[in-house]
Amino acid sequence: MKVKKFLLFCRKSEIDHAFSMKIHWTLYLAWKQLFPSKKKVSFFSMLAVIGVALGVNVMIVVIVFMQGFQEKFRKDIIDAQGHGRIIPWKSQKKWSVQQKQIEDHNAITAVMPYIQGQLLLQKGEFHSIPFSMGIDPNSGNSVLQVDSFLKEGFLKMNAHDAQDITPVPTIETLEDEVVFVSSQVARRLGVRPPSIIRFNDLNISESEGVGMVNVLRLDPFVESAEWEIIFQNDSEFIISSDVLADQILINLTDDPKEMDLGIPVFQAVPGSRPFKKGDRFKFHVFKGSKFEVFAPSMIEKVKADEMVPPREVKVGGIFEVPWQGFHTEALLGTMRFMQDMQGDEGRIDGFYFKTMKGFAKDESHLAKCCEELESKLGDGWTVIPWFVENAWFFDLLKFEEYLMILIMVPIGLVAAFAIAIALMTSVLRKIREIGLLVAMGGSRFSVGFVFCLQGFIIGLLGAILGCSFALLFMRFRDELMGFIVKIIAGEDGQVGVSQFYDFYSLQIYYPWESPESLNTFLSFACFAILVSTLAGLLPAWRATRLKPADSLRSE
Amino acid sequence: MVLRAEGLAKSFPFEDKRIHVLEDINLSLESGKSLSIRGDSGCGKTTLLNLLSRLESADRGTVKWQDFEMNASKQCASKEGVLRAHFLGVVYQAYYLIPELNVLENVLIAAKLSGAYGKEVSDRARELLSNMGMGNKERQIPGKLSGGERQRVAIARAMINSPKLILADEPTGNLDERTGGEVMELLLESCDEEKTALVLVTHNQKFAEATDETLFLKEGKLQN
Ligand SMILES: Nc1ncnc2c1ncn2[C@@H]1O[C@H](COP(=O)(O)OP(=O)(O)OP(=O)(O)O)[C@@H](O)[C@H]1O
Ligand SMILES: [Mg+2]
Repeated sequence: MKVKKFLLFCRKSEIDHAFSMKIHWTLYLAWKQLFPSKKKVSFFSMLAVIGVALGVNVMIVVIVFMQGFQEKFRKDIIDAQGHGRIIPWKSQKKWSVQQKQIEDHNAITAVMPYIQGQLLLQKGEFHSIPFSMGIDPNSGNSVLQVDSFLKEGFLKMNAHDAQDITPVPTIETLEDEVVFVSSQVARRLGVRPPSIIRFNDLNISESEGVGMVNVLRLDPFVESAEWEIIFQNDSEFIISSDVLADQILINLTDDPKEMDLGIPVFQAVPGSRPFKKGDRFKFHVFKGSKFEVFAPSMIEKVKADEMVPPREVKVGGIFEVPWQGFHTEALLGTMRFMQDMQGDEGRIDGFYFKTMKGFAKDESHLAKCCEELESKLGDGWTVIPWFVENAWFFDLLKFEEYLMILIMVPIGLVAAFAIAIALMTSVLRKIREIGLLVAMGGSRFSVGFVFCLQGFIIGLLGAILGCSFALLFMRFRDELMGFIVKIIAGEDGQVGVSQFYDFYSLQIYYPWESPESLNTFLSFACFAILVSTLAGLLPAWRATRLKPADSLRSE
Repeated sequence: MVLRAEGLAKSFPFEDKRIHVLEDINLSLESGKSLSIRGDSGCGKTTLLNLLSRLESADRGTVKWQDFEMNASKQCASKEGVLRAHFLGVVYQAYYLIPELNVLENVLIAAKLSGAYGKEVSDRARELLSNMGMGNKERQIPGKLSGGERQRVAIARAMINSPKLILADEPTGNLDERTGGEVMELLLESCDEEKTALVLVTHNQKFAEATDETLFLKEGKLQN
């Protein structure tokens, strides 16, 4: 048994040895000096690798996060303002030709006419004067991300014995008597959109099947009431309510767009069927708030002693715009509503437009597109790309970029120095060996190569490790930030901090997701490898130029 | 003639003066012959070996290796590298083993530097090591060897390329009388077998007398 083991050992080391006999001594020596044995790693090389890794990690993380912030700001602005705005020198009543001309430009995918102005809202004793905009519900969503703003501003109710199943409102429910208000306006006036709850204890008890019902659409015209539905079979049910004159028979396959306003559109929770005859569900609807609207145009009429009643509108939804540059007190209504309020039928104040996906990534493309549009539309129209409209923001970005360079250059230098020093010390410790190698007949070139190679390997390992650290940091950024914030601000402060530093929603890109990020990773990895290779080579090169006798005598 | 030195002189700057370590050194050595040099500590023995191995440039004089005549006052050129690896083996006073490599690899790296790779070399390295009584410590690293063991590895390394000339700087300095005697015997025997010329620096009279020619270094000159 022992003999067998011994033989095995011999064979293994024989293979090992044969291998080491074949490869060039420079490679072998470089490897051995970095990793003297299989179990042990040289302390100095480990230190150097970690030094490189930390440098690479810091630089990548800072840059990637900065890119993430920039990207987020950009996206927020474009979501709230499109890629640009086309404004007539004075308000236009005839604009369908222009709209067609704009739509015909091959880079443009969506055009939305708008009209804007100031309105006075009143609910009881509360008032608000929001920035108000009339939009076209058909094209609105394709330019401004109205649906996603509504989702941002959506709130659910809490109830003990019932579940809030209100669907998130969409731009489809925007009618002339309906408006969406920003959450600031809603809070100031104390208004809310309609909502619906499903009672927990009254349904399942009478339900034989596994089917479950929620609401697909709840338009602003619903009244507060109890609703009940009873299934006849798997797909048909009867709706009844106090506010309905007769019961209605509905099929789950009916097109919801065909259904009358004022009635919640019920749907089966996906995957929950079948329903059994007799399944019964009970709901309660709370109607949306109403408030009164006054417009500046009314003032003239009042002066002329006319009676002008305020306009009453329903709240269809509450929105939040991520871009803080957008007015915090804001109202969105239909174009016709705004035109009515201004007393100016058919008038618009301009268009917002959006270009093809990826087209506006390059600002010069967008600028060129705007020029083309301007010459196409002729006199009387101005086309402003988003980055001109938000020039101040671009100045800010420039400033931030300079600041970043100012910070990154010293960080880069410090990292480079750390890398260089770590390698140089490990080379300088080996002056005598360098003398020996030269004395034994090694050429300066090959001795220099040994240390150059060590620098390269350390740089490579450090870069790989640093990139992995950076990836880990990116992957666990929420946990890390949460942890840091918790330490600094405590449990309670967490909410406040995350409101201003939106790390949680920050979209950052992994190198396989965006070329920009890949670029960052690659450049810093190459930088680290280059610096460490040079830092290995230079002192060794100098040492080989010493007289071998002097290097050998050095202590 | 394997080695011939003529009119070698070497001085070092020290403070404002120069210390003249070697004044006028002449020596010659035939292949297979051995030569011992004795002298007080600090008299310039190591310096002389450095001049002979051209690790250091002389102030004056010439050194001739076999058929290659060289101006000893010039720095050794890099193209000498391969020649040096084949021609010369040096046992340094302070061994200079590479700490990251094990005993066998320390011997082999000298072979690799001369361009010799392959099984024959490693067999020869093993044979040399076992001749030196180091056969069982092939895989030990130098840091875990005694001074005498290191010295024996250094001797094996000097001999691996079957050089024409070995320069040995007190190869028995750290050995007790008995082991020293054994190592000396091995060194002389191998030199005899392989027709290697040997320049031996030593303090030990007995070892010195075992060589073909004994010289003293005194006041910068060699004396009989
Ligand atoms: N590079 C140098 N610069 C200045 N002085 C030197 C240098 N190299 C050697 N010396 C001096 O030259 C003299 C001879 O040194 P060397 O090493 O040759 O002595 P040695 O005979 O080998 O002594 P030991 O027997 O102790 O080894 C010493 O006094 C030393 O101080
Ligand atoms: Mg000496």
